[in-house]
Amino acid sequence: MEHVAKVVDSYRFLDGISKRAMRRWAALGTPDQIPWTPLAKPLSQCTVAIVSSAGIALRTQPPFDREIEDRDPWFSDPSFRILPRTAKAEDVRVCHLHINPSFAAQDLNCVMPIERLNELEALGEIARSAPSHYSYMGYTLRPEALLHDSVPAIIRRLREEQVDTVLLVPA
Amino acid sequence: MIPELTASSGIPRLAAIEHPFGLTLGLPDDAARQLAVLRGALRALVEISLPGEIVHLPFDSDFTLKVNYQPPEPPPIARYLTLHPWQLLKFLNRTPPEKT
Repeated sequence: MEHVAKVVDSYRFLDGISKRAMRRWAALGTPDQIPWTPLAKPLSQCTVAIVSSAGIALRTQPPFDREIEDRDPWFSDPSFRILPRTAKAEDVRVCHLHINPSFAAQDLNCVMPIERLNELEALGEIARSAPSHYSYMGYTLRPEALLHDSVPAIIRRLREEQVDTVLLVPA
Repeated sequence: MIPELTASSGIPRLAAIEHPFGLTLGLPDDAARQLAVLRGALRALVEISLPGEIVHLPFDSDFTLKVNYQPPEPPPIARYLTLHPWQLLKFLNRTPPEKT
């Protein structure tokens, strides 16, 4: 029998207005220029960092400010948090208001696979899991502060820690 | 996830997966699935050779029949649009009103 390749249904888990909005947003257009940096070395020689949009903060850090989104539902806390490569579910709070946070609260790897990445390091499939990983609140229709403040700060730190590649993990 | 939406942002490489929000890598304590998804994403990083290319990861999502992946309560924008339906077009067009 001929093998049929999987084609992911982008909208399978959305309903009602969410499905309508996401289809519409996707149709708003793609930038003319897509950035491209070739992978400079084999994955086994790369330091890899994770950036998660799940709004995850260490319990020792201030949580993301949910009241910002309650006051202005078009916006969310634009800050970010740094998580060490040792972070586990019991060390964090999941602040995102658009997901069921109970899964990541039980096992952080559901949305931020830090332990799995450490395992790939131990197996030699990557050179190193970065010392730091990052999280921010993934919903906003006013992205200016996130793009102008948080993203450059994350990039600076990624460079300081000599990260070769970043896995952006939507939540 | 919503790979069509992610692709529209102009991301250089994309590994698409048919998992719901909150379960990007799979269920809690399903280390085998989580590792397989992570490996699939990293393989896409190596295999994709053109800007904007998408790899569709071949994972089923049968596990979603057994779990409630919806947020415990509607997010603020859903509550807001229920009370302010005339703002729906602004939401659909991703053009939020000016801050007051």
